[in-house]
Amino acid sequence: MPSYFNPIFLQINSNDFIGLIYIFLLLLLLVFTFIIGVAIYKRRVEFKKKLWQEDITGIISQAIFYEADENEPLTITFDNKKLLHNPRFRQYLIDEVIHAMKNFSGTTTGNLKKLYGILDLDKDSFKKLHRKKWHIKAKGIQELAMMVQVKYVKEIFRLTNNANELVRNEAQCALVNFYGFKGFRFLNVTAYPISQWQQIQLLNNLQDVTYCKLDGIKKWMESPNESIIIFSLKLATFYNCFDVYDQVIHCLQNPSLQIKLNALEYLKKMPREDTADQITAHYSFGNKIIKLAILSILKEIGTERQIPFLLKQLHNIDDNIKVAAAKTLACIHPLGASFFQTHLFADEYPWNAIFLQIENERAA
Amino acid sequence: MTILVAEDEMIMLKTIELRLKKDGHHVIICQDGREAIKKIEEVSPDLIITDIMMPFASGLEIIEAVKRKAGKRIPVIVLSAMGQENVVLEAFQLGADDYITKPFSPNELSMRVKRYIPETLTF
Repeated sequence: MPSYFNPIFLQINSNDFIGLIYIFLLLLLLVFTFIIGVAIYKRRVEFKKKLWQEDITGIISQAIFYEADENEPLTITFDNKKLLHNPRFRQYLIDEVIHAMKNFSGTTTGNLKKLYGILDLDKDSFKKLHRKKWHIKAKGIQELAMMVQVKYVKEIFRLTNNANELVRNEAQCALVNFYGFKGFRFLNVTAYPISQWQQIQLLNNLQDVTYCKLDGIKKWMESPNESIIIFSLKLATFYNCFDVYDQVIHCLQNPSLQIKLNALEYLKKMPREDTADQITAHYSFGNKIIKLAILSILKEIGTERQIPFLLKQLHNIDDNIKVAAAKTLACIHPLGASFFQTHLFADEYPWNAIFLQIENERAA
Repeated sequence: MTILVAEDEMIMLKTIELRLKKDGHHVIICQDGREAIKKIEEVSPDLIITDIMMPFASGLEIIEAVKRKAGKRIPVIVLSAMGQENVVLEAFQLGADDYITKPFSPNELSMRVKRYIPETLTF
């Protein structure tokens, strides 16, 4: 039979086949050994943690129940002092101290910070900042931030511009944790974009912080970093920064869609007498999204001065614009929605459909 | 007063235990919900302090077990994490008497427990 008719497996002789089986079994054995090895290692770690749990609970309890006394500073009595030199024990202790910080408040947290310092656990965390692996750096920053170790702020500040995004995020959050609004100083130097999620995180970290003036906000609104301008606009909107109004108007000229939208959000929240006129002046320079946003905002801040402009938009080629303009007119026209009945094209399509839709929406 | 504390985090559990013992209370600790429900049947404490999220049985199940138990009414204080408002409301609906949100001060817990000391008891 010609060779090209033979199935490929018949071309492998029996020795090769046995060899393949051996290789397969060897690989299987290696994988199995690896799995067992990891399982044994994890069990050992858990076992050690259980053994250490009592010691760690004892150490932390001493700190928690310490009552501040100038004559008797916090001292920790611990029988098994050798353990304090074991890096794994120390890391476990750091994790538990931080956990306790999250669960307790009041003088307890002050005592836990003292404990952290007395046992030089801050030095362990600080060493992590110089490690190459990003996740270790990030953990170190997190630990120092949770324990409010402000003395390391210089090194943490440098990391706000680290190439790794997660390291940057942790460092930026740490600064805000330390200094509140003043912690935003890193916005002066950040070269990398700040993601939407990170912006939310930073705003979230300010929830319990008393507002204080954002000194650099005008400068941030002129940053070459688009995400910094967007974040500054969010800060200005959220914290009612009236003194950056002119900078925000200037942002309407920025080519970025997100910057314009955030600027409009600010202007919607903090309008002046002439805001409606100012945003209308920018209308023709915007794309459809901006135009719709402006028309929507005019519902709240528009005045009768905008009526001629809105009437013109009723004849825009885009039906969505027509609808948006009609909705705004219904809000700001002295006659309200009943003005539609007097419109020249009230009986013609698409205006009759648009006006009917709006009247139904308002009735509902 | 005999107080049962149900909390799966060891440090938290020990801290509460030590704080309440300092105040002169007899404290029974449980590291999971199932153990706590068993102890409630056996011992009948004067007050229960329970976390909500625990292995085997949650704090809400403990409150239900307390309600089912015939005889004396046992007040329950719930420990909740921030953001668990809806769970706390559910706990109140089931019969919880008070709650403390983490993070909390052990001294604050001590003061809250004092409200439940019967007037007849002296230390």
